[in-house]
Amino acid sequence: MDASAISIVLFALMLLLLASGLWVAPTLIAVGFAALTLFSAVPVGSIMASTLWDASWNWALTALPLFIWMGEILFRTRLSSDMFNGLAPWVARLPGGLLHVNIIACGVMAAVAGSSAVTCATVGRMSMPELQKRGYDESLSIGTLAGSGTLGLLIPPSIMLIVYGVIAQQSISRMFIAGVLPGLMLILMFMGYVMIRSKLNPSLAPTESGKTTLREKLWASRLLLPVLGLIFTVIGSIYGGYATPTEAATIGVLGALFLAFVSGSLSKASFMDSLMGAVRTSCMISFILVGAAFLSISMGFTGVPAALAGVVERWELSPGMLLVVLTILYIFLGCFLDGVSMMVITAAVVLPMVRDAGIDLIWFGIFTVIVVEMAQITPPVGFNLFVLQGMTGRDIFQITRAAMPFFFLMLLAIIIISVFPQIVTWPVEYMVSRR
Amino acid sequence: MNARRLFDGLYRWSGYLAALCLVSIAITIILQVAGRFVGITIDSTESAGFFLAGATFLGLAHTFRQGEHIRVTLVTRLATGQLARILNLWGVGVSIALLFYMTYWAFDLVYFSYKFNDISPGLLAVPFWIPQSVMAIGLLVLNIALIDELVSLIKGQEPSYNRKPVI
Repeated sequence: MDASAISIVLFALMLLLLASGLWVAPTLIAVGFAALTLFSAVPVGSIMASTLWDASWNWALTALPLFIWMGEILFRTRLSSDMFNGLAPWVARLPGGLLHVNIIACGVMAAVAGSSAVTCATVGRMSMPELQKRGYDESLSIGTLAGSGTLGLLIPPSIMLIVYGVIAQQSISRMFIAGVLPGLMLILMFMGYVMIRSKLNPSLAPTESGKTTLREKLWASRLLLPVLGLIFTVIGSIYGGYATPTEAATIGVLGALFLAFVSGSLSKASFMDSLMGAVRTSCMISFILVGAAFLSISMGFTGVPAALAGVVERWELSPGMLLVVLTILYIFLGCFLDGVSMMVITAAVVLPMVRDAGIDLIWFGIFTVIVVEMAQITPPVGFNLFVLQGMTGRDIFQITRAAMPFFFLMLLAIIIISVFPQIVTWPVEYMVSRR
Repeated sequence: MNARRLFDGLYRWSGYLAALCLVSIAITIILQVAGRFVGITIDSTESAGFFLAGATFLGLAHTFRQGEHIRVTLVTRLATGQLARILNLWGVGVSIALLFYMTYWAFDLVYFSYKFNDISPGLLAVPFWIPQSVMAIGLLVLNIALIDELVSLIKGQEPSYNRKPVI
């Protein structure tokens, strides 16, 4: 059987197993097992065991559980309930007023929570009632939530960037640095969009009255600022070359424990909750990554990735066209898969193709994270849309309409970083050159 | 009833051990940084990696029981009644077959690492069979949890991994 037939068989098998409700990690291992058993002559069992083992004690991955734990600790402080009051006085006087709270709060919360669906749900639960009470346009409120829930995944310490760094064998420090500017760019684009819409149509957002002094502002965000400080410390220590991601994550955990202690939300129960929550999330992700490592090795034995990379070459697919094709593929997969699974499942085949096409793998990581997150708000099905549907009780069409502009803003962001890849690569080069 | 408590205890304590491993990653990193300040070389690359593997594999069963291993529910949530039951049996059944195979070969790996005295490549020079057996045990516990699940599914009970509401 030739490589393209093999790849079709394996892809069909994977979709079938996923659709039948088999867990993602076992699916990856089952497809890898099938690939080796059917299309190679190697001893499957021992290769499986040694690949699983090698992938599971990967040094680069040790930052993952620690960052997740840091998030779980901060998540259980009063951070989320204080977020609205803490941010409101700072943005109230911008056009669009408190809608900006949604955007910034999601940025901060996603850095902490690591999942766009959880971010959407947490921020939405506290901000939606407030925004409704004050007469903000509902569609724009929902849209900002749907869009911004996704953007924090670029802002370090992002779980997605760690996962990508591990599967693409790229330095996680560099991934973090590469994510900063595109993340800020997206925040500014979202905020700019809200401002323009509210300027054009003042009925969308009421004018917030009441001036607050700087002292009042600082007091309102007394819990928020230390958390921001902690995130900056963590990123800064990586950027400055003072700490590896794992060391920075350890600092993050200690800092988060300290903040939880000082704010009075650290108890034996909350400590154990945060720890066990971190165990479950990191176990889930690591199991998928370990399964993906095995799948990737198995695919290598079948020769499929090399053959598909050859197809790209034969069709003379330009890097630009390849990216368009991949964007469509990811948006399709985003209908039924979450971000981490999408990235991991496609890695074995997509990464060799991309490398052969001469695309920088760090840049591609940022591209993938944006596309994968865009896929979460793609109508008619996307994870974040379902979360918002459950929370607001509106039907999926209204949610979709509200999220649409933000979908296009993200598309625009992808085009911008494709035309100006320096936005991604320059900070990384600068960091490396300073060493 | 006692068997129920025994199994639940197994998954819970395996999860606690995973948590201990997670904390140990942080501790080895703190030791490494502290060692750097006083001029002692402590290399935590291996130890952190081994604890990571421990946290992953020992946490498998606990994570499974809490319903946090992700899967695609787009199709399966449409199924009701008998069809839903069959899909659950299928998912758990396939997982058992797969995990049985993985567990067998994980113990095989442990045995050969022990027999040929494989040592980790860093400063610690840990015999590989020790951390590898943690992987094998973790897979075994997940296997037990899956068989436990299959038995209760056959008895007609709701799957334990569905009890938690989504978000």
